[in-house]
Amino acid sequence: MMSAMRSAQIAIAGIVAAFPLVPTAVSAASVEENAQTCAGCHGENGVPQAKTTPIIWGQNEGYLYIQLRDFKSGARKSDQMSAVVASLEKADFKALAAHFAGLKWPILGQPSPPKDAAKAALTVIGSVGCTSCHLDQFQGDGTTARLAGQQSEYLFNTMTAFRDGSRANNPGMSDLMKAVQPSDIKPLAEYLASLQVVGGQQ
Amino acid sequence: MVRMKSSHARAAALTALLAFSALPASAQEIEHHKTEKAKPAAPAPTVTQEMLTNAGSDAKQFLHTNANYEQTRFYPGKQINASNVSKLRPAWIFQMDVRESLETSPIIVGEVMYVTTSFDHVYALNAKTGEEYWHYKHKMGPITTYCCGPNNRGVAVLGDKVYFATLDAKLVALDAKTGSLVWETEIADPELGYSETMAPSAVNGKILIGTNGGEYGIRGFFRAYDANTGKLVWNFDTVPEDSVGVWATKDASGHDMHRDIAAEKAQLAKTGDPYKTLGGGVWQNPAVDLKLNRIYFVVGNPSPDLDGSKRPGDNLYTDSLVALDLDTGKYVCHFQYIPHDVWDLDSVSPPILIDVKDKDGKTVPGVVHAGKTGYVYVNKRDDCGIIRISDVMVAQENFWTLPTPKGARMLPGANGGVEWSPMAVNQRLNLTYAVNLHQPMTYQVQTSPYPEGKLWLGGAFKVIPGEEQFGNVSAVNYNTGKIKWQVQTPQPMMGGVLATAGDLVFTGEANGWFRAYDAESGKILWSFQSGAGVNAPPSAYAIDGKEYVVVGAGGNTQIDFKRGNNIIAFTLD
Repeated sequence: MMSAMRSAQIAIAGIVAAFPLVPTAVSAASVEENAQTCAGCHGENGVPQAKTTPIIWGQNEGYLYIQLRDFKSGARKSDQMSAVVASLEKADFKALAAHFAGLKWPILGQPSPPKDAAKAALTVIGSVGCTSCHLDQFQGDGTTARLAGQQSEYLFNTMTAFRDGSRANNPGMSDLMKAVQPSDIKPLAEYLASLQVVGGQQ
Repeated sequence: MVRMKSSHARAAALTALLAFSALPASAQEIEHHKTEKAKPAAPAPTVTQEMLTNAGSDAKQFLHTNANYEQTRFYPGKQINASNVSKLRPAWIFQMDVRESLETSPIIVGEVMYVTTSFDHVYALNAKTGEEYWHYKHKMGPITTYCCGPNNRGVAVLGDKVYFATLDAKLVALDAKTGSLVWETEIADPELGYSETMAPSAVNGKILIGTNGGEYGIRGFFRAYDANTGKLVWNFDTVPEDSVGVWATKDASGHDMHRDIAAEKAQLAKTGDPYKTLGGGVWQNPAVDLKLNRIYFVVGNPSPDLDGSKRPGDNLYTDSLVALDLDTGKYVCHFQYIPHDVWDLDSVSPPILIDVKDKDGKTVPGVVHAGKTGYVYVNKRDDCGIIRISDVMVAQENFWTLPTPKGARMLPGANGGVEWSPMAVNQRLNLTYAVNLHQPMTYQVQTSPYPEGKLWLGGAFKVIPGEEQFGNVSAVNYNTGKIKWQVQTPQPMMGGVLATAGDLVFTGEANGWFRAYDAESGKILWSFQSGAGVNAPPSAYAIDGKEYVVVGAGGNTQIDFKRGNNIIAFTLD
């Protein structure tokens, strides 16, 4: 066992020596260790500590990767997250994204909004076309976020930030949110937060 | 090409769906891995080039996405015809694992049918019984960036392989009999906004494919890959390094587009040619002219869709018909329908090669394309020049009103007119059949820098709550440009058309109705309620002397029509 590992290490060393330009793209910490850092705010069991912090357990892998990448590049601004990702590299982001995407989305049981608020939300959804990208149950896919059952306050803050440009890492979303009346954002957040994805393991 | 939702009714249906429906795509935990349990191999015969070349007269098989290289979507069988279509009944219904937007064109080889689903599954079915031979689930990479739904429009066939392309921008070859993977090639980087939803085309040992990404600031391309190895044979950039053009002030139909040419020239001097991020996706298959050894395809919108301020010039070859040499991929000719488009009224419906009358009444080889503008464009095949433009098939209101920061209302909306939906033609009647949307939208413009692979619309196009939406089926005489008949449908139309030698026209509606129309009069001769949006192009074939018509009923993400997971084959009693 040991000798096999040693041979493997030697083989890897050989490869690195042969291709010195291959980046060493993984930080020293394991994905589990890195994930522990995340748990401080995003929750040990997937339920975030604060209502303004997003659920990341069960979020779509591509979306999580892009956000981590953007925190590192500064395209998405957050003092807290920038500090967290400062020492991490692309391979760490991919590993973390795969790790959290594989965990079970926590059901928070957020209440449905009043009927008139739901109606306002559905009107906006029909007009802007949210389900074109976020899909029919707002489950998202790939680099597009799952919205169904996300924290209501986080959704409200995020849509507002897209609208006022303070979240600048998706101008398409900013454009769409600028096309929405400010008074419709809260009903939209409450409606999306109240949804559950029907069926499956989530 | 773009997507935008329909109305409140749809939203209400969504609520019902959330409460009561069967499992949606991702919630089923679609397993993206390889073929399932062993089943009898699909008895598909080897597809020769001769079979593909002669597909237009083959009533037994359906070998191309759009029926034949000319893309007429005309089926030569006449067993099912205007006199007996009322007796058409389901032969079988196959339910697929993925219940999400369905745009596949069924391909029939011998007695084997190939269909695809959203999220890139491929099925081989017994075309006579609907039983499954194999089911391939593409192992999707974590990064996918696509607009308009996780669609897949089907496979190409050649030799003993079937070919399809994926949301994570891969081209895949499978063994036609077993569904096992033969090769897989990465076409482009999905992190930069590239994705694939179109069906490839197969010709002369090559697999032809374009790319999506016009909503993400890609630089579009059209390519040929080696069918045996998956190696790139040639690449054509759909946006040339000099994309400026001639500063055209009018579109092909002669309408003034209100361009501020001076401002554009000043921008060009300041920032240079915008070709690197100018979009120009290709959504649908090329037509192939084997005599001229050329392909003809249409190129989609410039990026960002609605903001022209940072992309001065005509934005060649966006919103254009383009012809290339089949062997080399070298440019032959082009025709731009809409220079410097700021409405996303791009070219997506696949072009059709047929003989047409020129302006002098002489018969010449032509190219026919339906635009989101609601026009049918008839071009010459030799130099791509325009011959005529049809009567407009949908209302045009405030046509070419420039988008504003507050929003300007215009018809057609960004879905058209005619969206990606392929037309079909009946050359005996000189008619081409198109399905249209009437969907007014508000166009809002916003300026933002290139976002490195993120959504880049340059604003928003919104369906206007409370405004009526509907659709139509239109029959247009391509030799005169006149509309012969038109049938209004209750909802906007998206899917595609099949015409047959039985003088029938088949197409489906968002509300689940799949209908047969009299090709000459437009009279509805038969209807079937499919239970989900019929938003896919129909195909037809024959086994043991019996003809079948087949279509997918799975609804649509782009305009949020009711989802389903059915492939339905019909035959006479």
